[in-house]
Amino acid sequence: MHHAFKLGEAEHNLELSRALIGYRLHLADGTGPVNLHLEDDGSAVLTVNGHSEKVLVAMRGDDVFIHLGGVAYQLCYEHPLQRLAAQSQGSGEDHVRSPMPGSLVALHAKPGQSVARGETLLVMESMKMETTIIAPRDGVIEVVHFAVGQTFDRDALLLSLEAIAVEGKKS
Amino acid sequence: MRTTSEVAGFEAIRERARSWPFRSVLIANRGEIAVRILRTVQGLGLEGVVVYHAADRKAPAVRMADQAIEITGATPVAAYLDAKQILAAAQASGAGAIHPGYGFLSENAGFARTVAAAGLVFVGPTPEQIELMGDKVLARAFVAQGGFPVAPSAIEDDEPATFAERALKVPFPLLIKPAAGGGGKGMRIVREATRLRTEIERARSEGQRYFGDGRLYVERYIENPRHIEVQVLGDAQGKVVHLFERECSVQRRFQKIVEETPSPALDAQLRQRICETAAGIARKAGYRNAGTVEFIFGAGGEFYFLEMNTRLQVEHPVTEMITGKDLVLEQLRVAAGEPLGYSQEQITSQGHAIEFRIYAEDASRGYTPTTGPVLMLRAPQGEGVRVDSGIVEGQDVTAAFDPMLAKLIVSGKDRSEAIARADKALAEYALLGCVTNTAFLRRLLNHQAFIDGQVHTGFLDAHPEIAAQPEPDQATLHKLLAAAALMTRPMRDVADLVPDLHTAIGSWSN
Repeated sequence: MHHAFKLGEAEHNLELSRALIGYRLHLADGTGPVNLHLEDDGSAVLTVNGHSEKVLVAMRGDDVFIHLGGVAYQLCYEHPLQRLAAQSQGSGEDHVRSPMPGSLVALHAKPGQSVARGETLLVMESMKMETTIIAPRDGVIEVVHFAVGQTFDRDALLLSLEAIAVEGKKS
Repeated sequence: MRTTSEVAGFEAIRERARSWPFRSVLIANRGEIAVRILRTVQGLGLEGVVVYHAADRKAPAVRMADQAIEITGATPVAAYLDAKQILAAAQASGAGAIHPGYGFLSENAGFARTVAAAGLVFVGPTPEQIELMGDKVLARAFVAQGGFPVAPSAIEDDEPATFAERALKVPFPLLIKPAAGGGGKGMRIVREATRLRTEIERARSEGQRYFGDGRLYVERYIENPRHIEVQVLGDAQGKVVHLFERECSVQRRFQKIVEETPSPALDAQLRQRICETAAGIARKAGYRNAGTVEFIFGAGGEFYFLEMNTRLQVEHPVTEMITGKDLVLEQLRVAAGEPLGYSQEQITSQGHAIEFRIYAEDASRGYTPTTGPVLMLRAPQGEGVRVDSGIVEGQDVTAAFDPMLAKLIVSGKDRSEAIARADKALAEYALLGCVTNTAFLRRLLNHQAFIDGQVHTGFLDAHPEIAAQPEPDQATLHKLLAAAALMTRPMRDVADLVPDLHTAIGSWSN
């Protein structure tokens, strides 16, 4: 299956195909008839396996937001190409991201600086509490993306480390 | 809903408001409370002016106001704390009064003085009353002097050299608090005498950092306490009444999430005693304006003065629902010099009301704030349902402000009806684009301890399972994936290219 959505941390593979009426959804654990009819007021009627119910749906980029049964969910569409790229790279440790929205209080690292795993890179503030962000591995700082006082969202790229290969050449 | 006599009363006030010393009110606040205040101001036929930072340009208060004046600041929050710009905006707009809302400049005596010095009316208490209640140590001493209950304590300022010794004489466990504190910041619980000195030093440095003031006091720590507060109202003629209590025990990080009235912890006698104590404290202060006297309430029914908030409270709507009084209206009347004009006996409590704070936060990730665009917003409606909201579709939720987006207030003839209505309303409250705490609030209100009214301020810490987001069941997961797939262009395009010839209408097959 080429398509996938992320819900929380879990990845779900799936495929969609045309049916005589509506579509068929193919999942790892089975396949069945589905359809979605969008209404003018922004709501939609979702039909799964012959059972219909009203849902609210909204999109933003690759994120799909669904209000279903009184609970709001967020799913993220994973592009087939990106998934391939992510599998071959697997170097998430090059990038330090913000665990929550907040602002930068103190910066302890600058580009070109060598850092050891566990060393404090920066201090951020969120909800009037300070959080220390540490280096995920030994390395050299490549870019610092924010200045002290700036605010950012969750998952914002705060700081990048030089890729391992480059570091190897230097030593 | 107003009764016929209340409508007649409101019309009479509207008529009198024509000759009030102010005909225009500037609201020095934002979000839901700016909207809430505007509603009453405009309902009275007065002009409503707001100030706003660019980050709030799309906010509902800006659209609703008769005049909206942009203010700037190093950060959005700094703009709303800038007394000079706000005063200039008031003068430029011709406002005769300033309503500070809650937070920001609402409990800043200096600001209240500046407003008065500029010839404007401050919708709030006197600067002296703000100062007295803003200093936790002074306030405590003032309350104790009047013979009202305060927890056994030791106050550093009484004799700094002997502070630690005196603290050791207070029955353990102890709670160390910053003298200039509030909102639970810088507080530390000490259970063993050997830890006292270290914790005092930590609390001092935190107090210094948060409030620029390292003075402390310690008091006996009440285990599993409830937070019960009483709404009071005083006029400039010296009359003070109470409007019953609110229970605000469900908290995270010392911040309230759910508030209700009446408190399930009080019987009629205790209710009267705590309410009269609060009114007595406000009376002794000659208190003018709406205010809240907070108490800490122990399992044995004992209660102690905690602090007094000299402003409109976030959770004021639950009081409005059971008493039928519009607290912003009362604040404006008092600010205009009108006497309250009713006695304590004329204020009655009917039914039950609960407020749920809708926060942009993820309970399952330690209640951390969330951000995102408000792509779709559907607020619930129906009998006993009120939504005080500061957001509209198309706005962005950012990290610039407090994460409270809106408040859902439900009322019913009794607590169980209110809970049932709340569960339905929370399920109907749909905000897409930014994670909110509505699903968490539903898990909370369906928890047996909450249904039984058995909550205390440490309740959520004791029940971490309420914060955890359960995995969706398989049927729900299938529905979510179906909706997501059908919404996603690339998936639908691929499917439309290849008709599935052998598929007739069938059911799910494995």
